Amino acid sequence: MPDSYLVHVAGAMRSYYKDFSKYAKGREPSQKVAWVTSFTPIEILDALDIEYIYPESYSAVIAASGLEQPLLEESNRQHLSCDCCSYSCCFEGCVETGKGPRGVPPKPDVLIATNNQCNTLPGWWSVLAKRYNVPLIILDYPGEFTEDTIARAYVEKQHKDFVAKMEELSGNKLDEKELSKRIDNSIASVAAWKRVCACLKDREVPPTLLFDNINFLITARCKEETALIYNLMADEMETYPECDKSLTPLFWIGYPLWYHKDRYLTEVMDGFRVCGSNYITWWNLDYVGDTVWDKLFSAYNATFLNLSQKTKTDRLSALIAASGAKCAVTCRNKSCKCDYVSAKNVGIPQAELEVDMIDREYLDVERAGKLMEILKETIS
Amino acid sequence: MKILSMSGFVPEQVCDTVRFTGFDGSCRLSHYCGYAADFISQVREDSSIDGAVFPKSCDSSRSIGSYIDDTGKFIYSMPVPAVRNAESVDYFAEVLKDYKGKIEKHFGVSISEDEIKSRDSVISARNAKIAASYGKLSGLSYASYIREVHAALSAPYEFDESHISAGNGGKPVFLIGSFLTAVSLADSIEKAGLKVVADDLPESGRLASRAGFVSSDTDIYKKIASEILCTRPSPTQDLFAETVKSDLEEIREKGCKGVIFATQKYCEPYDYLFSVYKKALDEQGIPVLQVQMADSTDGSGKDAALEAFADII
Repeated sequence: MPDSYLVHVAGAMRSYYKDFSKYAKGREPSQKVAWVTSFTPIEILDALDIEYIYPESYSAVIAASGLEQPLLEESNRQHLSCDCCSYSCCFEGCVETGKGPRGVPPKPDVLIATNNQCNTLPGWWSVLAKRYNVPLIILDYPGEFTEDTIARAYVEKQHKDFVAKMEELSGNKLDEKELSKRIDNSIASVAAWKRVCACLKDREVPPTLLFDNINFLITARCKEETALIYNLMADEMETYPECDKSLTPLFWIGYPLWYHKDRYLTEVMDGFRVCGSNYITWWNLDYVGDTVWDKLFSAYNATFLNLSQKTKTDRLSALIAASGAKCAVTCRNKSCKCDYVSAKNVGIPQAELEVDMIDREYLDVERAGKLMEILKETIS
Repeated sequence: MKILSMSGFVPEQVCDTVRFTGFDGSCRLSHYCGYAADFISQVREDSSIDGAVFPKSCDSSRSIGSYIDDTGKFIYSMPVPAVRNAESVDYFAEVLKDYKGKIEKHFGVSISEDEIKSRDSVISARNAKIAASYGKLSGLSYASYIREVHAALSAPYEFDESHISAGNGGKPVFLIGSFLTAVSLADSIEKAGLKVVADDLPESGRLASRAGFVSSDTDIYKKIASEILCTRPSPTQDLFAETVKSDLEEIREKGCKGVIFATQKYCEPYDYLFSVYKKALDEQGIPVLQVQMADSTDGSGKDAALEAFADII
């Protein structure tokens, strides 16, 4: 019997959730715990044997489990405005009430936030820092907004300071060879994930599979297992039948809707098929350079949402062209001010839908259906 | 050249800028800060504006460039460090040099270091005067004071305390929030029988804190960078504990009976700060009124809430 990726997925999930309260049953984690944002250079933490937990991802899991509404209400009772990112509101409700599908994550020894996707996360992490009274480390990535040599020196210095702080926390000394090995793992994970993504264009692949399984590229990209999972997944998907070419190819711009059983609006998309998505490419980080520091700089400074509008437009346009999409759904996400504008000038008809990736009550499905009808008429 | 600037992170010393103090524009974006949207409107719709400079310090400001990059005007998104230490000061000094270079290139001008130093002296003198008046707020009309401050944020950067009318008394309160474009809110506060005796606003309390700042840097860019980064922090610098601690000290010291937290709708840095700030004030038994404004010109319709708050405290 061929090796299935599902076996490895189950193992990876067990490993990630082992210290959440539902499974730990009062047992303390054996490693130091960092709560991180999703574009944190986790290769450094992994090489130092520090466990890392992603609050954003857990909010997605909470919404997928249908449990987000009471937690959103609780965060509002805690004076956190419902205008704030729903990832943060949902998670605040979780830690305040102690309720979540897998319990609550193990308490952090350190909080690490980056600003290479948005400026919301450092603000949210500041709230967490007040709650847990633990050190908050913010890694500042200038992105394309600063001349390369200046940004490189600044980021490299921060990465080295970060290593020193994490060495002190963990009591371990960083071995650059171990760090290099983690970076190689991340490179392999990205390459394997690209194989998976390529299947969406022509194969009968439910986008839901990609929206859900990108989780490992986010939370475990530097683990050896991740590339294995994705290569097995790609092997399997490459055998899937060809997709129905009579359906209109559509590009999904924005986050998946985590609360939705399919993660996108299947109920208003009759006649369309999703052939591409920008979200599933966001963690295709580019580790370029001769040294580990150069590689980390290029990967984490040039994340998609940290690029200039021109570069974002060029990249998104190229993705759309490669997907063969004739139209797009653009999610005007209540929780993300940075992503929506990415879709400027991409050159194909778009239906702009007012959504939130966590709060299911935010969407007007009837209106979304009408906009999709208009889109259909536009391209027919 | 007339460059519209947003936020206290933009240095006034490099070249003359016009501080954004509100605009009734047509740009409206859902879930997006109305203040930033009005800034976008002014850059797009006001033909007298030659350029725009704004920080990459919150989600609304970091995407401003995407909405005005087709105007052909000078556009500079300033990558303000998200951290505060010696390295970030050095880095920000390099950013300031880059900013200067981009202005020189775009407008075909030359800005000498002597000019920057001379401008720095003018700005420092103005800040000292603002700080002096800030220290006497209990005897001044806050609305009149804040108008004089706003007038001094553009060349020739002159601040004259004699232009400020005397205060009429009232229950002492502390005001925290984003740039007070809608000065009519200050009028409403006074009308409700409240008196702002201290604040944590970018153009007032935070600017006044720069007056007492002493930099050991002889390099003018590092001096400016450290003054901007290392004085009373903005919520976008994510130093919530420091903000809460220093504000509480001032609230106690000035005998404030309550706090008015005035922010823009969809302004996440202040929304996150509020969740922490409110809990800290509750623990101290200090009442707080949150006032949200829809955009840069929205200062009206808060009278009833302010009057009720005045009654409570």
